[in-house]
Amino acid sequence: MRPRQDLYPGYDVLAKRESPSWNAKTRAVLDERLAIGPETHRFFDEAEWPTMKAIATRIVPQPADRTTPVPVAALVDHKLAIGEHDGYRDAAMPDEREAWRQGLRALDAEARARFGSRFHQLGAWAQDQLLRLAEAGGLMDPAWQGMPSKLFFKHRILGDVVKAYYAHPTAWNEIGWGGPASPRGYVRMDFDRRDPWEAAEAKPGREDEAYAENLRVGD
Amino acid sequence: MPTLPDRAPCPPERRHGGPGTILKRRVAPVPVEAAVHPVVVLAAVAAGAGLLTWFAAGRSKRLGPAPSEGRRYAPRGSAVTASAAQRLNHASSMLAASVLFDSGLEHYRGQFFNRAMYTPVIVSSVTLASSLHGAGDTDPGSSQVRHAAQALAGLTGLIGFCFHAYNVGKREGGYSLQNLFYAAPIGAPMALTLAGLLGLAAERVRDADPDKPRLGGWPAGRMLALATAGMLVGTTLEAGLLHFRGAFQNPAMLVPVTLPPLAAALLVRAAGQPEGASQVGAKWGMWAVSSMGVGGVAFHAYGVARMMGGWDNWRQNLIDGPPLPAPPSFSGVALGGLAALELIERRRFRL
Amino acid sequence: MRIPGLGNAADNPKHGTPGDDPEHHPRARDGRAPNVMRIGDWVPMRQHRDEDEVDFAIVGTGAGGGTLACRLAEYGFSVVAFDAGPYFRPLEDFASDESHQSKLYWTDERIVDGENPLQMGSNNSGKAVGGSTVHYAMVALRFRPDWFKARTLMGYGADWPIDWREMWHYYDQVEDDLKISGPVTYPWGPHRRRYHRRAHEMNAAAKVLARGAEAMGIYWTPTPLATLSAPRGDAPPCVYRGFCTLGCSTNAKQSVLVTYLPRALKAGAEIRDLAMVGRIETRNARATGVHYHREGRWRFQRARNVVVAGYAIETPRLLLMSATPEFPDGLANSSGLVGRNLTVQGNQAVWGVFDEEIRSYKGPPSLAISEHWNYDDKGSGPFAKDFFGGYSYMSQGPLPQLWASTQASAHGLWGEALVAEMQRYNHVAGLKVVSEYMPQERNRVTLSDVKDRYGLPVARITYSWCDNDKALNRHALKFLRQALEAAGGREVWDQGDDTCHLNGTARMGDDPSTSVVDADCRSWDIPNLWVCDGSVFPTVGGVNPSLTIQAVALRTADRIFATRRP
Repeated sequence: MRPRQDLYPGYDVLAKRESPSWNAKTRAVLDERLAIGPETHRFFDEAEWPTMKAIATRIVPQPADRTTPVPVAALVDHKLAIGEHDGYRDAAMPDEREAWRQGLRALDAEARARFGSRFHQLGAWAQDQLLRLAEAGGLMDPAWQGMPSKLFFKHRILGDVVKAYYAHPTAWNEIGWGGPASPRGYVRMDFDRRDPWEAAEAKPGREDEAYAENLRVGD
Repeated sequence: MPTLPDRAPCPPERRHGGPGTILKRRVAPVPVEAAVHPVVVLAAVAAGAGLLTWFAAGRSKRLGPAPSEGRRYAPRGSAVTASAAQRLNHASSMLAASVLFDSGLEHYRGQFFNRAMYTPVIVSSVTLASSLHGAGDTDPGSSQVRHAAQALAGLTGLIGFCFHAYNVGKREGGYSLQNLFYAAPIGAPMALTLAGLLGLAAERVRDADPDKPRLGGWPAGRMLALATAGMLVGTTLEAGLLHFRGAFQNPAMLVPVTLPPLAAALLVRAAGQPEGASQVGAKWGMWAVSSMGVGGVAFHAYGVARMMGGWDNWRQNLIDGPPLPAPPSFSGVALGGLAALELIERRRFRL
Repeated sequence: MRIPGLGNAADNPKHGTPGDDPEHHPRARDGRAPNVMRIGDWVPMRQHRDEDEVDFAIVGTGAGGGTLACRLAEYGFSVVAFDAGPYFRPLEDFASDESHQSKLYWTDERIVDGENPLQMGSNNSGKAVGGSTVHYAMVALRFRPDWFKARTLMGYGADWPIDWREMWHYYDQVEDDLKISGPVTYPWGPHRRRYHRRAHEMNAAAKVLARGAEAMGIYWTPTPLATLSAPRGDAPPCVYRGFCTLGCSTNAKQSVLVTYLPRALKAGAEIRDLAMVGRIETRNARATGVHYHREGRWRFQRARNVVVAGYAIETPRLLLMSATPEFPDGLANSSGLVGRNLTVQGNQAVWGVFDEEIRSYKGPPSLAISEHWNYDDKGSGPFAKDFFGGYSYMSQGPLPQLWASTQASAHGLWGEALVAEMQRYNHVAGLKVVSEYMPQERNRVTLSDVKDRYGLPVARITYSWCDNDKALNRHALKFLRQALEAAGGREVWDQGDDTCHLNGTARMGDDPSTSVVDADCRSWDIPNLWVCDGSVFPTVGGVNPSLTIQAVALRTADRIFATRRP
């Protein structure tokens, strides 16, 4: 597996906030999202919250030295609190909100049954072990109330957590995406071309150049 | 392992080498310090090359009012050739300026991916300086420096054409309309060749026998008239291709594909008429094409405004929108046509 | 620097966001509707009272309903078109943000099951005035002529009751109305008129497709797209921002919202946004109007004719929900086929990593296409065809959320593996098919016991692939993989489970016992009830359906006008 790297050093998509790449609506939407703090939760109760946070940490791990980590659990909470739906659910699944409550309860029950403590108290290895079992559909505790753990993992955990992380500008910086683009779009679309307002990728040994270019994306 | 970028940009670890460390930018096409934008460097180089050319071409000797108070040295014939030469230099200046800004813009879009993409910017700057110099030179008699500069332009344009043709052909789909639309514009470098040719013609006309000016063994006026007619047709083809890409969405886009061929036909007709015949119609045609070229800039500016974000989004729209510097190349060629008509009429004229 | 009344209105990014909330308060009321081409602006709208008997009540304003509403109004009929979704002004309401723009999707609850349950929501369902065309990928392709006689000529599915030459005429018309940007010559099928705008410049992802196709020895072409490559009136050309499937905030996209609906309003049609139709009223085997929910209460609009255009889930749902003692199985359902033959299209993909930077987020997602396998019925060697139907394939440009979801759900990555793989986002290119699945009666839409927020039964959507579908998937993935590798892709992997588009749940035909509507989209059972959307497709072909839906809508309008009672 390739290690995670600092591929776009110095790139900050928020530097483009005042540039023609962002329109008023985009600024308003992103301001609202960035105002969500890491502990903001309205949907999850106090018992569910630590479990949710632990899951988010395992699904989209973040570097330990990141000063302001993406509030992944809070973003998932926000989605559920405002009642945003996918628009469909498998016949074997309850609706989104109920599925999350049941699933978190069930994961905790599985953790207690197998390792003797709650999910968020387990080490990373044990947590991954449980998540892998859920992924394979191998968790059958009565606490699941008939909901297949496989579908819970696929639709709720992967679906909601991954989307929450990649809805955040910090994640965009990490992958070098251009970010919001309206009214200004892009000009240079050929192989190996980038507009001056796009992230520059650090080529090995030439990180400084990318860094200097990336400081200018908001010009 | 380096850390991940946070929301606030912070330099990679290993750059904390101490305060005042200068960032070397090796990604830039030319190695320059981060403080100076490569485009600024290019502009400075181009301007410098232009200035050098200007001074190298020497001081122009003006036939001012003072000498004309006494004996007139310049007979009528040489006044016509000098005037026609100046007009040819106007034409060449216009084309060179068009190429300077157009190639600058388009190659900036292409991020000077190939170092050769600097060439037309610098060469057209040299050509522009040389043509402007000639335009201010009322002295019948050529300049070797200018002559060389114009020849260089003519050659550069041809090489550019080959480069562009190669670029189109190697794209997916080869010589398809799609690539003619969006790959390196195949006809664009020829504008530099035209600038060079008209500039060369200017020098030759200066040297020619004032009473019977000839170019390449042919009567200069007729020769030039036919040549500029051909140039007009070529420029029309280029405009036609790009306006077809724009689907002629504005009826005004039809003007550059209809008016210039008509004017070219008038030039051909003039070439067939005896020397000294009045060419009022053809001259009107040339002036019409000239003003169309200038007016085209305004239309293109309006086109930029119609793009998403308009002029506020100029960094995209100046490049993606209709090219502002392109239409004056028509004016350049048309001015060349006027010079030809002047030679055919054997008469100076002023607007 | 805009010349007033001449340029586009989108050139001022400094305008604030609007004060009103189109998602909760209807905009089309008080004699006016939003001017979608201007920020904060309005156009006059003719309005009808509920008790007025209008000529046509149209349920849905997407590719089918919106197009039809426009033409019927232009023919002089009185028209009220209902849409459950909001009436957006793209310039002011659309953010460049994947999460936020999910407001364009039909996210009301639906239940999926079967062996291959469908993904709904963002994948294929729109809920906004303009319907799914507000977030479609703008791929504007014509059917292959033979598909209109699939049963007779090719031995599968069912015949359409419409001749392809007639369709060709309507394709011409809709391509003109949408000013499709396409290649100067199209490599497949019979002659067609030149597209009205030139094809767009191709991004690197599209060039990957071109390289692959050239290596495989098949034709490719820049995709005909319903987004402008040169200005049109108030609409600027595309700026290649890449958010097409999340709503075009520049109006370069020629969705129904910015093309047919402004025309419809001008011609006197009324559009009611945030108006959910829950029931069609019938008396004496004739439709008499529609019950709809708007501004917090149920209302009833009288109408001489009712057109259902809610796309292949909501259309059968509404017909089934409108059951009466006279029509106990739902309206127009004497054949028992309402809700059956739900036919989606395969949307499998292959993805690979490239040495070059691709950055496929720039430009419309599908800038290049090959329809080779729609027109080659035999194939050869490892790619001999052992199935019915065909497929086209296109380049792709997923944005980060979609790409991460794909990596997670289809590639099975999470944890460090996911975040590391996501860092190769700018080096990824993929090829995605739109393939022809077979109509099967077991694939269907029914009503579940679950109720939605209006108290209406939620649709249950059952889907399973047949052996032919699976054989097609295998062929497509095998071919695409080879094409992508030939183009320089490494570590190629298959995304095998995706589907797209919804068709077939109220199919048209010549025989009342085997179809729901006739060639004019008029229901066999109820003469003043019509269906006009993808539901009427007997077969789906291997191309995106929107252009065909719109062509059928144009034809339906002409037929309605031609057969009207004086």
